[in-house]
Amino acid sequence: MSTFHSKKTIIWIQGITCNGDSHSFFNYPGMKNFAKNFDIIYHPLLLSDYSLDSILKSTQRFDYLIVEGSFTKVRDYIDRGGHSFEELIENLSKRVEYIICAGSCASFGGIFAQRDKQNITGALFSGGEEGGYWDKNKKVINIPGCPLHPKWLVDTLFMLKDGNTVLLDEYLRPKEEFSYLVHHGCLRNEYFEWKVDTKNFGEKEGCLFYEQGCRGPMTHANCNKILWNEVSSKTRAGSPCLGCTEPDFPRDNVYETKTLMSLPLAPYGISKRAYYTVTGIAKSFKIERLEKKLIEGYNENN
Amino acid sequence: MKITKEIIERIEGEATLELEWKNQRISYAKIKFLNYRAIEDILKDKHMLDSLMITPRVCGICSHSHVTATINAIEDSYKNIGIELQLTDKAKYIRELVLNAEKIQNHIKWFYFLILPELFKINRGKFADTEPFKDREWFEAQSAIADILKMGSIFSGQWPHGSYLMSGGVTCDPLQSDITNAKNFLLSVQEFCENRLYGCDIDEFLQIESMSDLMNFDSTLDTAVTIMKELEFNAIGRSYDRFISFGNYMDINKPLKAIKTRVFNANVKFAKESLENSFFEDKKKGFTYSKSAVYKDDFYEVGPLARLMINKDPLIRDCHRRCSDSVISRITARAKEIAILLKRSDFVLKNIDIKEKSLNIPKFLPKNITSQGIGVVEAARGTLIHKIFVEEGKITKFDIIPPTVWNLGNGSPKKPSIAQKAIIGLDSIEKADFVFKSFDICSVCTTQ
Repeated sequence: MSTFHSKKTIIWIQGITCNGDSHSFFNYPGMKNFAKNFDIIYHPLLLSDYSLDSILKSTQRFDYLIVEGSFTKVRDYIDRGGHSFEELIENLSKRVEYIICAGSCASFGGIFAQRDKQNITGALFSGGEEGGYWDKNKKVINIPGCPLHPKWLVDTLFMLKDGNTVLLDEYLRPKEEFSYLVHHGCLRNEYFEWKVDTKNFGEKEGCLFYEQGCRGPMTHANCNKILWNEVSSKTRAGSPCLGCTEPDFPRDNVYETKTLMSLPLAPYGISKRAYYTVTGIAKSFKIERLEKKLIEGYNENN
Repeated sequence: MKITKEIIERIEGEATLELEWKNQRISYAKIKFLNYRAIEDILKDKHMLDSLMITPRVCGICSHSHVTATINAIEDSYKNIGIELQLTDKAKYIRELVLNAEKIQNHIKWFYFLILPELFKINRGKFADTEPFKDREWFEAQSAIADILKMGSIFSGQWPHGSYLMSGGVTCDPLQSDITNAKNFLLSVQEFCENRLYGCDIDEFLQIESMSDLMNFDSTLDTAVTIMKELEFNAIGRSYDRFISFGNYMDINKPLKAIKTRVFNANVKFAKESLENSFFEDKKKGFTYSKSAVYKDDFYEVGPLARLMINKDPLIRDCHRRCSDSVISRITARAKEIAILLKRSDFVLKNIDIKEKSLNIPKFLPKNITSQGIGVVEAARGTLIHKIFVEEGKITKFDIIPPTVWNLGNGSPKKPSIAQKAIIGLDSIEKADFVFKSFDICSVCTTQ
């Protein structure tokens, strides 16, 4: 294995996973630029000059370890080419500058942690609780999402490579992406402002927050700023945000809004008093334009 | 007797082949999938509609197939209590289009990320332009994959793990400009396939009826087939020559099976999962988390080759005449299916009438139903079946039969499974590895 690399080197390994973060990464639109700057030394789904065994036996240092999938110490839960997850992570985590948890499973435990929350966790968190596979590890950066957006991953890699400071929030998510809420840039914002809910799924009009369970106003991610696959997002396709970048993903009964005295919970960082006051006032007005179809006479959805 | 263990890397997840040898040939092969995530258990006690969020997470490469099977199962469970949800053509077309995008993605990715690199490894030099993360054609393929998923995501919100399906239709409500945008992405992928994969116009390619005509074009597919012929891959990987397909496919909307070239009706009620050889049957004697699927106790191959044999596709029939159900037939069928799906997607986009309703539900749709339903869909790798059992709106049991358990389960030495039969008799590990991969393995689906 060569000791000199002009590009930053990446090892990509998997815990308990569906491979969704890998496939999301393969959609990255600037792959040529990525390949000029980074070298994926090993990825379970890609052609490589090195086998997992040869990498584990080497003493070579790498720049970034990307981990996709939940962490576990239970031998029965995972087998990677004859190795336990513990073997992989203990061997490789010591030889890298940063450990990047790709997706909600690696960050918080995610969907697969529902099988056994005690033993299936994220790197440093179990859901929103501190203490996951490790209690402490200063190398960890969490990029949650089910799956993660390819730009979140690659943008973070470039910031690290170029020596930019990657500011992290309380869940170790890069602030560059996760200071935004999914609500920001949602095309249904005006309906939210005036508390006009959608009549049913399958319509462009109305907000999905009041009945359909949308978590956009309390979910940290810039989905509606950068869009998915460069063209759309859940809310643009008429589906509620499932809150997949938050530690409590997946929640139960996701297509219904939980209410408190028939009111939905207040958006992130807005006091109940402020929110319910504004809601009461907004609701007292009937805005005719927002009750109509966006484009009258265009389709028969009534 | 010599026994070797081969870990098969570079597939969706990982599998281990344990090979037994006699006279320098493989006498038996055990196919082991050792990772299991218990998704069917996770689904228990969840609200019925939450399955629309959970099942896409079975698999990152075919998430839309899973969510489609789930919505079909949910709609079937409504039907079983007397509520038939009538989908508009618009909703049906959008569901098909999103699924087509996923299948086209799958096949291009499988060909360029997996099959070409393997052939490249065996015959270095021939694929000077297709090395992953290095060469022009690979980047073009990666772009084509991203583009076809953009076409689908316009309607599904995102890929992977979009959730745009709801009982009675789809949640999106596209504009005419969205349709135009989708057509643009489709065209760019079609051009990539014409310029690189097929070496000719798509209509011309679709008219090719013989393998000798296929070899007249200077294309990546032609090069791949040439190399496989040189390696005599036309003779390896043959199995029972029996095929089955249960889901709707193009204009076929009934379950069919084929024994060699003869096509017969089939019925999904005879599709069964067997726990033989798995840890579920016997924790000690079992050696894999993969179950096996059989039709009336017999193994049948599923996937693009099965679909095209049942569909009587002239090119694949000609390929089959020469090479039977070998590696070459399997690979050519997948490559051919890309063109069929592109053409069909063009038809679908032209026929989506945005004026129709996206979602059509009766005024009263009970949430707390007690029922059960079966959802079937043709995924990239073949028939995918979901069975849902609901009591008062909560899931009591969820059963997933993915395509890969049809092909990659384990039988017995007397009655090996589809992939086992294709591997037994081979004289090298490299060939066994390639034959195994020709089924387009997905271990995350296989063992959920």
